[in-house]
Amino acid sequence: MVKLLGMLIIVLAGTLAGFNKARQFERRPQQIRELILVMQRLETEISYGFTPLPEALNKMGSQIREPLKSFFISAANDMNSSKGLTAQESIQQALSAHWKRTSMKDAEREVLHQLSFTLGTSDRQDQIKHIALAAQQLKHEEVAAREELDKYGRLSKNLGLLVGILVVILIF
Amino acid sequence: MKMNWLELFPEPIRSLLEQLPSSLLDRLEEIRIREGRPLEINAEGEHHFLTLGGKLTHRVEESYKPGGVETHRLLDRISNHSLYTMEEELRKGFITIPGGHRIGLAGRTVLSGGKVEHLRDISGFNVRIAREICGAADAILPHLIDKKEKRMKHTLILSPPQHGKTTLIRDIARQISSGSYGDPTVKGSGMKVGIIDERSEIAGSLRGVPSFDVGPRTDVMDGCPKAEGMMMMIRSMSPEVVIVDEVGRPEDVEAIIEALHAGISVIATAHGSSVDELSQRPAMAALMTNQLFERYIILNRSAGKPTYRILDRQQRSIQISLPHQKGVDAYG
Repeated sequence: MVKLLGMLIIVLAGTLAGFNKARQFERRPQQIRELILVMQRLETEISYGFTPLPEALNKMGSQIREPLKSFFISAANDMNSSKGLTAQESIQQALSAHWKRTSMKDAEREVLHQLSFTLGTSDRQDQIKHIALAAQQLKHEEVAAREELDKYGRLSKNLGLLVGILVVILIF
Repeated sequence: MKMNWLELFPEPIRSLLEQLPSSLLDRLEEIRIREGRPLEINAEGEHHFLTLGGKLTHRVEESYKPGGVETHRLLDRISNHSLYTMEEELRKGFITIPGGHRIGLAGRTVLSGGKVEHLRDISGFNVRIAREICGAADAILPHLIDKKEKRMKHTLILSPPQHGKTTLIRDIARQISSGSYGDPTVKGSGMKVGIIDERSEIAGSLRGVPSFDVGPRTDVMDGCPKAEGMMMMIRSMSPEVVIVDEVGRPEDVEAIIEALHAGISVIATAHGSSVDELSQRPAMAALMTNQLFERYIILNRSAGKPTYRILDRQQRSIQISLPHQKGVDAYG
């Protein structure tokens, strides 16, 4: 009886781990898509609204879902604080504080990291170019992320279950 | 107010400035930051470099030299992390921050069609601390008012830069707009005043609202070219007195003449140390030879003591001053 319970637990854990991994695969393209939309809105804020960066990031943050929401809002708060952080430092701090909670990978992080060096430090045309470039790179990542989802999404669900069963077979 | 502009500076510049004795801090006029070169402060016509220990020095070797990181931080903060909102300001070469302080910028210009389109690689900053001195015009105002007709006399204020022209006309605007003319025998309400503030110095406007007290009946045309601004004011705001800073171009002179003929009093300033010197400038000569101005005020500041001289239409001296008691401000 206890054996049976143990088997069940192991199989269940494997299945859950598989589902969890699959959910990461599903969320990554969604979050990248959100980030691309943010980039497009940021571009509009900068080119037509002349909105100062902290205000613009706050606005972006209030319009999107977690975990990106807290990333943008904390970057904006750091800029407004009296600590004297530059835009670059604020964004990089927010990256290291909030990035782990997203399902995105290092490639997307690198895009934002690169963007942090130029955001707010040049004229509008230049800003727009850099933001457009970041959006372009994110789109590439999105395509890659969707391909990965197709390849590994179902696979990791099944794999979780199978690994669970394998462990059960090996043990008992 | 004091903290306001100090907060702008990145460390260690900020703590260096905070260490200064408050008597000096209160008199500071300019803080100059040049990448890789000594941090300089100016007060009352004297300049000092600062050492890392917070001491004043004149020796370049000992002085603290801000680097690229500090200038980058400073620029980031003065632009509120958003340089792209400052395109117009960068084209003009300065940024006005809350409190009416102005930061002049030097860097590499980007040209488009022969005109400056943008400033980049900014490495030189001149933070000019604006101080409002209410009462700076007390001694001068009684000479500028025409008691019989109850109007201001057309006045030209002359001085080299940094001698307090702007502070003076700011106080003139405040006083005549609020109806105090520095002369108890003159009573009555204030006049409608129009300020054309091309470089946002007189009123220190931030988003169109003056940072300084320029009086209750004063309209400010901020960031507007002088000649155009004067015409706009005359057409639309019906001022009794027009105040304009640093005239000198032919179109400015034309606009002044236009205003004079429209029955509006003009109070203007110009760079120069004497009336003769001014009449040498081709654009200004027309104003001088026609004797359009009824009063000339010549400001001077030697050894930190501001003095003034008032001349009448024929350039005869009416009064040669004692130093003003109240002092002058950061920029002129």
